[in-house]
Order: sequence, then structure tokens, then C-alpha cells
Amino acid sequence: MSTVVRRPRRSRIPYGRIAFLSIYMIFVLAPLYWMFITSIKPSDDYLAVPPVWFPAEPTIVHYTAALFAYRGLDGLVNSLIVSISATAASCFFGTLMAYSLARFNTGGQHLSFWVLSQRFLSPIAIILPLFLNYRMLRLQDTHVGLIIAYTVFTLPVTVWMMFAYFRQMPRSLEEAALVDGCTRWRAFWRIAVPLAAPGIVAAAVFAFIACWTEFFFALILTSKTAFTLPTVFRAFLGFQGAQYGEASALAIVSLVPSIILGVLAQRNLVRGLTLGAVRG
Amino acid sequence: MSDSAAISTPLAPLARRRTASSKKSDWRFKWLLVAPAALLILAISIYPLLFSLWVLFVNYDFQIPGHAFIGLKNFRQVIADPVAVHSLGVTAGLTVANVATEFLLGLALALVLVKTFRGRGVVISILIVPLFISPVIVGQAWALLLQKPFGPTNYLLGLLLKREVTIGWLTEKPWNYVALVLADVWQWTPFMFVILLAGLTSIPPHVYEAAELDGVGAWNTFWYITVPYIAPMMLLAVTFRLLDAIKLFDTIFIMTGGGPGTQTYTASFYLYVLGFTQFHLSRATAGAWIFLILTLIVVQVLVRRLLLPATT
Repeated sequence: MSTVVRRPRRSRIPYGRIAFLSIYMIFVLAPLYWMFITSIKPSDDYLAVPPVWFPAEPTIVHYTAALFAYRGLDGLVNSLIVSISATAASCFFGTLMAYSLARFNTGGQHLSFWVLSQRFLSPIAIILPLFLNYRMLRLQDTHVGLIIAYTVFTLPVTVWMMFAYFRQMPRSLEEAALVDGCTRWRAFWRIAVPLAAPGIVAAAVFAFIACWTEFFFALILTSKTAFTLPTVFRAFLGFQGAQYGEASALAIVSLVPSIILGVLAQRNLVRGLTLGAVRG
Repeated sequence: MSDSAAISTPLAPLARRRTASSKKSDWRFKWLLVAPAALLILAISIYPLLFSLWVLFVNYDFQIPGHAFIGLKNFRQVIADPVAVHSLGVTAGLTVANVATEFLLGLALALVLVKTFRGRGVVISILIVPLFISPVIVGQAWALLLQKPFGPTNYLLGLLLKREVTIGWLTEKPWNYVALVLADVWQWTPFMFVILLAGLTSIPPHVYEAAELDGVGAWNTFWYITVPYIAPMMLLAVTFRLLDAIKLFDTIFIMTGGGPGTQTYTASFYLYVLGFTQFHLSRATAGAWIFLILTLIVVQVLVRRLLLPATT
């Protein structure tokens, strides 16, 4: 009689995967945790050995200092003004262009790829001459100047996301409206745009996050009046040592809105990242 | 069928008349919609580029008055600058290290997370958080973790290795490069992960079932089924990431300031210093054009050699 030799069953629990995922989650959360802890830690705890993992007496002094003494609040307000205006403008002009590209194939492939190529232009190549022109036009360090720059810089994203959205939207309703005697403009504005509203919202979220987190253009095109939140961090460079808490507090204030928006819009993330090329 | 035919018959001539008479107004309509966005792009990115063609060949320098024509001197000065050449090397090195690490980690994460399990949604939501944070803040956060007298990294490494660790993560070679790669990988791995996960979930399950019936091993299944299936996504993700990675500036500005000395200058950072702290605007413009052309060559090669054959 031969006995059936059973191979030992591989355990169902994938320990390797769990370990990898756990380590990676720690890697993701560690900088955020440490930044938050630093923002509520009294300055005396900075240089303690071993490091203070959680302060015994949390404080909000760094938040008030960052917002008022370092003009973080002004930066926050400027960031809101510039990001919201640029997002609105970009979505408006982007939707117009995308509709034309999707329904009439305006300018063929050349026009749509020309817009896409703008996404990959190096900002450093544009910023030097733009800076000189802004100085001549007195747009340097103004909200309007930065809004215009951000509108253009987010246009490739909004145009391509909306382009992809309109292309997968059936034309039948617009055609029916045309047959009923609607003008092209009314068919677009009254029928296509309301139907495309979810796509516009998704495009707006990604345009807003792009403006909110942008640093390079703001660094060069603004200084004392129109400066945005990310550029406030310049104040903490150079003085290495004393401003850890303020820098962290400002970072926490700045990252909360964009993270909330981003996670809420997560369903559209793949389309946002690939400019509509991949549907998630 | 019969209903719609009955309805459309009386309307058909009307519709035909419309299309005949409104060809011209359609033409006007479609270009009117395109015009505002196209004009904005022309004004803010194409016009400055054309303007810079003039800046290239004159002396536009805040330290020297007037704009005298100096021909190719700007180009010669940039090419002769060892820091410029060094910064290109740093850009290439960091780009390759960043994108390769992000790709491998992102692929591993996507493979782990393609299977459904409880809490998967929460895990994915946490993993994508870095994508929504300003690179300036990412740089700040890593600087806090790594800083020499204060950051907990050296302390934890000391506990792990059971001896004192005093690495100057932001000031000592090669650790400063490691620190910059860490920050970039932290921020952009989810970019790869999200796109590759979308690719993996689009593979129909029957393909795997067929492979299992035929007794194909796990490694062969991955190599001969999964990889070819998501190859277009891989190329797209890597191309998009590469094109952004070569612009690296923000984390350099915050974490190392290009230092020590000019060790961690990337091309963008070098041109920024040249143009906006030394105000050699013409020389910086010449450098920016060289960088732009090099970038375009990379793009051409990537699109022609990789993307087009993969999609057709």
C-alpha cells in the first residue's frame, strides 16, 4: 500500500506581501507624522536625544507664528485667489477648445498634440523671457500675472481631460437639438456642457491641485505682494535650526486642502495623471 | 425602428438644409471655441520663446547696461562652464535613479494591490497622498527627517546598527543624492503605481485562467502575459515621469540649495542660479535653449522608438 504523501500546503496568508506593504506604508506615513509632530512640539524638544516621538505638552504657537509673523495667512489667501481664478479660467477655455477638438477635429492632430506638448516644455525655458516680459508689462508680482501664467500652464491638462471626456460622450443629444433648430452654441452650452459637468469637475480638481502646489513660476514671478503659500517656505531656508516648527505648521496648513480634494477625486486620478490617455 | 423612421421623415429635409447652409458658421464656431485657449498659449509660452531667440544673441544682463549684439558668445560661455556640464550629468543621474526606482516600486505595489482584500481602498487612498503635496513641502518633510542634529533618521539607524551614526544627509556626498532620490521616490512612486494598477486590472481574468489550466508557472505568467499586456501603460507611465523628472528643481531648492558647493545642481537649478541670482539672463537663456533641445531629442527618441511601436 502506498501512502499518499501530502505536500505541506502553502499557508494562505501572504506574509511577504503584507510585510512589503506595511514597510511601504510606514515609509509613506513617516514624513507626514514627523512633520505634524514637529508642528505641535515645543521648541525645547527639537534637539532632545532620544527624539521626542510625541510631545508631552502640544502647542499651537508655531501655527500662529507661521500664519502671522511669517505672513503664511497672506500666502494662503493669495494661493486661494490665484488657484481658484486660474482653475476657473483654465476649465472655461479648456472646455471650449476640447469641445471643438472632439466634435470638429479642429486643426487635426496637430493642434491637439501642440497643446499636449506644452505640458512637457521645461518651465525654465519659458520663465526667463516671460519674466522679462512681465517686468515690461508691469505684471510682475501681481495676481493677474500669476493667474494668466497658471491658466496657460494648466490648459494642457484641462483640454486633454475634457477632450477625452467629450469623445466618449454620445453626440446624439446635441444632434437632436440641432435638428430642433438650436444653434451650435446653444447645443454646446445647454446640452453638452451640463452633460460633461462631472468631467469638468474632475479636470478642475487636478488643475486646482497643480496650481496650489506649484512653486517655480511663483518663485520667479512674485515677490512681496502676490506670493503664494509654497514660496513662503523660502523664509525658513538659511536660518537652519530655529524654524522647524513654523515650517512644519505651514506645511500642514498647506497640504490639508489639496490632499482632501485629491483623495475625493481619486476615481478620476488615472485620467488626471495621464491627461485622459488611460481610463481608470 | 418604424417609429423613428416615421418621425425622422418630415425632419430630414430640414436637417439637410441646415447642414448645407451652416457649413460656414460651423467653421466659424469651431475656430472661435479654439481661439481663446490657443491665443493664451501663444502669448504665454510661444511668444516668450520667440522673444528669447533675440535675447540669445545679445547681451541681456542686469549687471551690464544696454543690449549689445554679441553673437554666439552666450552659447560659448555656457558650454565652457564646467558647472553647466556637471549639472547635466547630475540631472541625468538623478532622473535615471528616480524613475527606475519609482517604476520598480510602483510595479511591485500594483502587483500586490491588484488582488482585492479588506481595507484595500483605505491603503490605496493613503498611498496616493504624496501626489497631492507640493514638492516644496515634500522636500521640507524629508529635510526634517534627515537633518543632522535634529532628525530622527540617524538616531534610528544608530539603534539598528548599534553604533553612533552621524551622516550629513543633506551635506555629504553621496548621501545628499540618496536624500534627493528618497524625496522624489516618496512623492512619485504612486504615479507609477496608479497607472500600472489601472493596467493590471484591465487584464481579463480568463487569460490567467487559461494560463493556469495549461500549467504555466507564476514567473512565466508574469513575464509572458502580464508584462506584454501592460507594456503600453508601462511606457506611458515611464515617459510621462521621465519628462517631469528632468525638470527637477523644487526639492533641490529646499533640501540642498544645490550644495554643498555646486554638487547637487541640476540643469534647472543651474539655469535658475545663472539667470535669477547672478542675472546673466542671456547666458541662462542660451543654456535653457540647449537644455530644451536636448529634452526634445529625448522626447523624440522616446516617442518614436518606444511609444509608437508599442501602440501600433
